Amino acid sequence: MMTLFAPALIFLFQEESRTGVMMNSIKNPDLSRFLMIGALLFVIGVGGVLTRRNIIVIFMSIELILNAANLNFIAFSRYLQATGNLNAVAGQVFSVFVIVVAAAEAAIGLGIVIALYRNKETIWIDEIDLLKW
Amino acid sequence: MVLSGWEAVFFWIFSIAAIFAGLLTVMARNAVHSALFLISSLVSVAALFVLAGAEFIAGVQILVYVGGVMVLFLFVIMLVNVGAEERGNQPIMNNPRQVTISMVFCLLLVLGLLFAVSVGYRGLQKKNPTSAVQINDQTLVAGGTGTSNMTRDTERVGNSLYRYAALPFEIASVLLLVAIIGSVMLARTLKQEAAVDDLAPEVLAAETEREPELAGVTPTAEEIE
Repeated sequence: MMTLFAPALIFLFQEESRTGVMMNSIKNPDLSRFLMIGALLFVIGVGGVLTRRNIIVIFMSIELILNAANLNFIAFSRYLQATGNLNAVAGQVFSVFVIVVAAAEAAIGLGIVIALYRNKETIWIDEIDLLKW
Repeated sequence: MVLSGWEAVFFWIFSIAAIFAGLLTVMARNAVHSALFLISSLVSVAALFVLAGAEFIAGVQILVYVGGVMVLFLFVIMLVNVGAEERGNQPIMNNPRQVTISMVFCLLLVLGLLFAVSVGYRGLQKKNPTSAVQINDQTLVAGGTGTSNMTRDTERVGNSLYRYAALPFEIASVLLLVAIIGSVMLARTLKQEAAVDDLAPEVLAAETEREPELAGVTPTAEEIE
């Protein structure tokens, strides 16, 4: 694992420390900055899903993940528009569908939470182990 | 696609706000605080959408997420009991070993993603050098800053939503219908299930022993016929 990520770290560091590149990309954020923000939001959401005990907070982290994906779609849509094709809005159309699916998922998921709370009197995921053994 | 001037300033403000609010969402002890931080994160991301020229999606994000989904979340938080977490006598995380492992995993994930983004973006620039560098806002209709032209983003999204994505659009409406019906069915109480005769007979018998008033709502055989 370390052999894989040590070159990645070195590469990132070199890339950023090249004179002027970093300052310029802070002054003029481009597609890669949008993608990095999206990646950070995604990882925060993954961390929430993996570490929290409260099932409602886990749902909120999933919303965060879907939102990060939306950000990437929008950024790529803008990038394609900047290449000259003003009608490249497929990314925006796709993110409408992502929002629809997120809304449906939240409704069903919260219905499950309510049914679970009525039967088990708990929202801690480590106490919901009916299928475990 | 290069932002410049005030757009860049607002980009950094809103992206830092989105990331910090996201972190606080995950770390807040009280679930209501989590929901409020998630709302501010979603609003910041909507502002980033505006900066990227997607005003329609930004509006949809605010209306659907902040106006609909988050209100649903707040209702459910208030329906279930989260008092123990708030008072601090229950841990909010899984056990420490799991948390450590998932933190390591997240670190690796973020390094890998940032690496992939920077390598991939360099490749994209090499393949298509004019796109990111030379073509700038002169060839574009003005984005969400509204400094010059009126944006036509909503018109374009609507056009392709109905022209090229008409079938997925209809399927999405069916999905929403299924979600409505499913959540209504899931959230019924035992009494409501008994009233429409939707319980297995042995379950009904067991529950009636615990709660005698259940027998009163059960439809009799003549009523069903």
